Amino acid sequence: MVVRTVACPSRREVLVGGSALVSLSLPRLAEAQTPGVLRIGMTAADIPQMTGSPDNGFEGYRFTGYTIFDALINWDLSSADKASDIVPGLAESWAADPSDKTKWIFKLRRGVSFHDGSPFNADAVVWNYDKLINKDAPQFDARQVGLVGFRIPSIKTVRKVDDYTVAFGTGTPDAFVPYQVVYILMASPKQWETVGKDWAKFHEQPSGTGPFKVDKYVQRQRVELIPHKTYWDKKRVPKTERIVLLPLPEANSRTSALLSGQVDWIEQPLPDTVPQLKSAGMQIFSNGYPHVWPYHPSVLDNSPLRDIRVRKALNLAIDREGIVALMGGLALPARGHVLPDNPWFGKPTFELKHDPEQAKKLLAAAGYGPANPLKLKFAISASGSGQMLPLPMNEYIQQNLADIGVHLEFDVTEWQALLDRWRAGAKGDVNKGISAVNISYATQDPYSAFARFMRSTFHAPVGVNWGFYNDPEMDKLLDAAQLAFERTARDAALARVHEKMVNDAVMIWVVHDVGPRAMSAKVKGFVQAKNWFQDLTPVSMVG
Amino acid sequence: MLALIIRRFVYTLPIAIGVTVVCFSLVHLAPGDPLNAVVGPDAPADVVETLKRAYGFDKPLPVQYAKWLYRALHGDLGRSIATGRPVMHEMSHAIGNSVALAVVAAVIGFGFGCLFGAIAGYAQGGFVDKVASFFGLLGVSLPHYWLGMVLVILFSVELGALPAIGIGPEGAAVWAWKKADWAHAILPAITLAVIPLGIVTRTVRAAVAEALNQEFVQALRAKGLQSRAVLRHVAKNVAPVCLAVMGIQFGYMLGGSILVETVFAWPGTGFLMNDAIFRRDIPLLQGVILVLAMFFVALNLVVDVLQTVIDPRIRRGSGG
Amino acid sequence: MTSPALDLGTAPAPLAHPVHGYRARVLRQLSRDPITIICATVLIAIFLSAIFANHLAPVDPYKTSMINRLKPVGYHGYWLGSDELGRDLMSRLLYGGRLSLLMGVAPVAAALLIGALLGVVAGFVGGAVNTLIMRTVDVFYAFPSVLLAIAISGSLGAGVTNAILSLTIVFIPPIARVSESVTTGVRNLDYVDAARASGAGAWSIMRVHVLRNVLEPIFVYATSLISVSIILASGLSFLGLGIVPPNPEWGLMLNTLRPAIYINPLVAALPGGAILVTSICFNLLTDGLRQAMDIRA
Repeated sequence: MVVRTVACPSRREVLVGGSALVSLSLPRLAEAQTPGVLRIGMTAADIPQMTGSPDNGFEGYRFTGYTIFDALINWDLSSADKASDIVPGLAESWAADPSDKTKWIFKLRRGVSFHDGSPFNADAVVWNYDKLINKDAPQFDARQVGLVGFRIPSIKTVRKVDDYTVAFGTGTPDAFVPYQVVYILMASPKQWETVGKDWAKFHEQPSGTGPFKVDKYVQRQRVELIPHKTYWDKKRVPKTERIVLLPLPEANSRTSALLSGQVDWIEQPLPDTVPQLKSAGMQIFSNGYPHVWPYHPSVLDNSPLRDIRVRKALNLAIDREGIVALMGGLALPARGHVLPDNPWFGKPTFELKHDPEQAKKLLAAAGYGPANPLKLKFAISASGSGQMLPLPMNEYIQQNLADIGVHLEFDVTEWQALLDRWRAGAKGDVNKGISAVNISYATQDPYSAFARFMRSTFHAPVGVNWGFYNDPEMDKLLDAAQLAFERTARDAALARVHEKMVNDAVMIWVVHDVGPRAMSAKVKGFVQAKNWFQDLTPVSMVG
Repeated sequence: MLALIIRRFVYTLPIAIGVTVVCFSLVHLAPGDPLNAVVGPDAPADVVETLKRAYGFDKPLPVQYAKWLYRALHGDLGRSIATGRPVMHEMSHAIGNSVALAVVAAVIGFGFGCLFGAIAGYAQGGFVDKVASFFGLLGVSLPHYWLGMVLVILFSVELGALPAIGIGPEGAAVWAWKKADWAHAILPAITLAVIPLGIVTRTVRAAVAEALNQEFVQALRAKGLQSRAVLRHVAKNVAPVCLAVMGIQFGYMLGGSILVETVFAWPGTGFLMNDAIFRRDIPLLQGVILVLAMFFVALNLVVDVLQTVIDPRIRRGSGG
Repeated sequence: MTSPALDLGTAPAPLAHPVHGYRARVLRQLSRDPITIICATVLIAIFLSAIFANHLAPVDPYKTSMINRLKPVGYHGYWLGSDELGRDLMSRLLYGGRLSLLMGVAPVAAALLIGALLGVVAGFVGGAVNTLIMRTVDVFYAFPSVLLAIAISGSLGAGVTNAILSLTIVFIPPIARVSESVTTGVRNLDYVDAARASGAGAWSIMRVHVLRNVLEPIFVYATSLISVSIILASGLSFLGLGIVPPNPEWGLMLNTLRPAIYINPLVAALPGGAILVTSICFNLLTDGLRQAMDIRA
């Protein structure tokens, strides 16, 4: 743990003493807390889209996605201990047709209605997929395609079989289909008609099947959610009276807001403020989840990182425990691409640890040493979603690498610019001289975790295999996983993929984020799952 | 007189056009894809291309400028890429909030500024002058956003007396503000008022001192004549300059409040602009900058005309 | 953020009649004013400490130390405490002075050169040239300064050069306007008319009479902008648009030390103090200069 300093006591004492006097005379004008109302400070700068296709990344899904809407398949967010996997949502069951694996049959849940009262059925499902894949449908929305369309790469057709059965058609057999379906939320077609067939208006008066309804919305300022008392999952009817979501993009403002009692829950407090929050009686939640903070190297011919010995050396040079200490304990050292307790972890033979001597040996074998020092340039950002504290962390690693004789230089850009570099691929002009990009990744589903980075065909401009990694054996392993339709077989196949990924040092992994959030002591019932998304329904306010 | 006003107005037109050109070019100078706000990071290139075409970003810049200007003149500033809502719609709320904050800050800043400045001017050279002038000095030397943070720590976190962030819960208009709304506005308004307070103090002090130092005023005072006459004279001399300064400062407060709004999460135009810059939401950014700049141009025009009307001695040296 | 004197147009008025020994009188007046002396001394000290930072700083300002983060003032080995990465704050402040002062002075200096040139030419030549130059300048002047600075920086991206460029563009219009206004005033004065009547050429009139009287007010006006420039630059870094980490710069340090307010408020306040002191000194110095130059003949 980080050794903390003691805040100047005299100043605090004076202030506390003085404040006692002052607060006797000053009326408490700070927004008082109404019982039963949970006020959450998000890091987003605006209320995320409430059309069923949230923006603002996974935070959008977390607060205006799975709260107001359901997908056919949902995430199991009930446990803090086991890896979070998919569970039935609006579909009770699904399976690929054994005779034709490109066809999936989903059996829908009966007796479910949208918030506006209209029934949920197969027509609604088809309508919702058409908004993304059918250019001629009136509800087609190019913006939503940009936001979530890429999450359903395999789904080509969606057909109604009967009122409660839907058939999905994929181009080639793909066992990952459920992990794609989970991201597509069901919006109410009737509501869309009622608001005048306009998605912008739908955003102001959304209607889904989720456990929360929208009661009040003030553009850019707040949205208030209330429980949907007739939610189909009786175990997940919300326990709070009301949830108020507030955009607070500035980390210090969030901290002030929590400390002053203006909100009850903030996302991503700054690690430095955690001790202060704790001493003010706040609860700090954190848990590993499918996030990883790596360097994604280029393995092109002009990159020093094409040599596996160099990649392994870099992996061994990093002092991960030191980074964890830098983050005030709010990080987990990486042992691979996914968390060690994830079923896809497997048993890789290459161990990620801090071994500078071994690192130096590997570098020497690769031809680098004091006479020929390795010079690298990485592209990083100063901030960004999931990037944690990029600058201090990178500087720390720069020092680690200097200790084994590697000169690491950074090209610091702004977050969006870094994403552009990512999309451009290692061969892009904008990435000249850059050997790796530092972008944090969500590894929540098989495509996001593995396929998009390692399939030889998924390099720019088609996908984000930034480094042009190309290994036919890996392609075969990915194929095998993609054709493993049964869960345990699929998990085992993905474990093989992960083992090879780690053994080949495909990336240089540093830490996993633990998704810290801070709440006042009045918030009860929250369980932080090992997931990017969280369940707000069991939360209640006391006192 | 009328001719003068018309001439000023005519001079302003090319400036306004120039402003639109600068506004448009600034935003397009930005490196990076204009569609970042709406396209998920993973999206493949063909999706990006389709969207680009849909927004017209594939056309050459002069064409985009012409189209944009034409629409803007008809009140259509396009749609925000990030939210899909019309830019005017986004701005209407934000402008209202910024204006509200600017008004409160103006009252505080100008009020106290005139007070301190007048005191300092009258008490010229004395200790009181130094104290009052010091406030003025502080106002223009302090990083005001830093002060804002300190105020938050003091009043919100330590004392719990005032809210730290955001606007009032109801999102109501200024004239309908209740106690809670005012509580939210005090700290940001004080922070925003710091610099105008400094400037107005210094301006008023200089003007008052100059008026008082004029020979015939000294004569008046020597003869012991009613200070009311002196006061009237001082006011008459100070008023034009002060009005001009206050007018411009109000414009700056409206257009330059981004730092204060960022610290306090005040949903005004500055906050909007900050978001637009970092999400590279080009239509929104263009719209905000354009509206703010145009407002400032108009304000400048009004102040110019007023100044010339009030005090014909003041000439803008425009060699014409 | 607003700019104090941008719109006051209060450059000291050029002298109606040339005064013998004017400069000597100004200097004497200045030397009698204690505040001006103090400020000048402090500023010289600040500049020198920045220039010689490499000799004065106890340690390398970039050297981090995870176990020594956010130590208070007076902690062993860290005279003014340490920042969020364990870097010595005293060293960071000294080195930071370099970038902060650069960001303060460079844009104003550049804008002075360009703006004064534009303004004087426009004021002296008059007519169509004047209209062309001044209208173009007015277009940029039409933007509130913060807005313009942020818009330009936001477009160009973060970095020292971009920030200096953007601030220079922000300061050229007011300097140009003041220059033009002052020059026009001088051009119409009696002694200039007399010189023209006696058949002197335009260039010699410019050199002998106009420039000498015009440059001083313009220069004083420009120096009043330096404190604004420092604060504006720190504001840009605060928004992530100016200097990039890990470079030390007072505004950026204010930004990155903000979370430290909850842990070590004094350390977090120091960079703000540095900006404040520097700004105050520049402002008082300019005030003193103006007062001294305001000698009625």
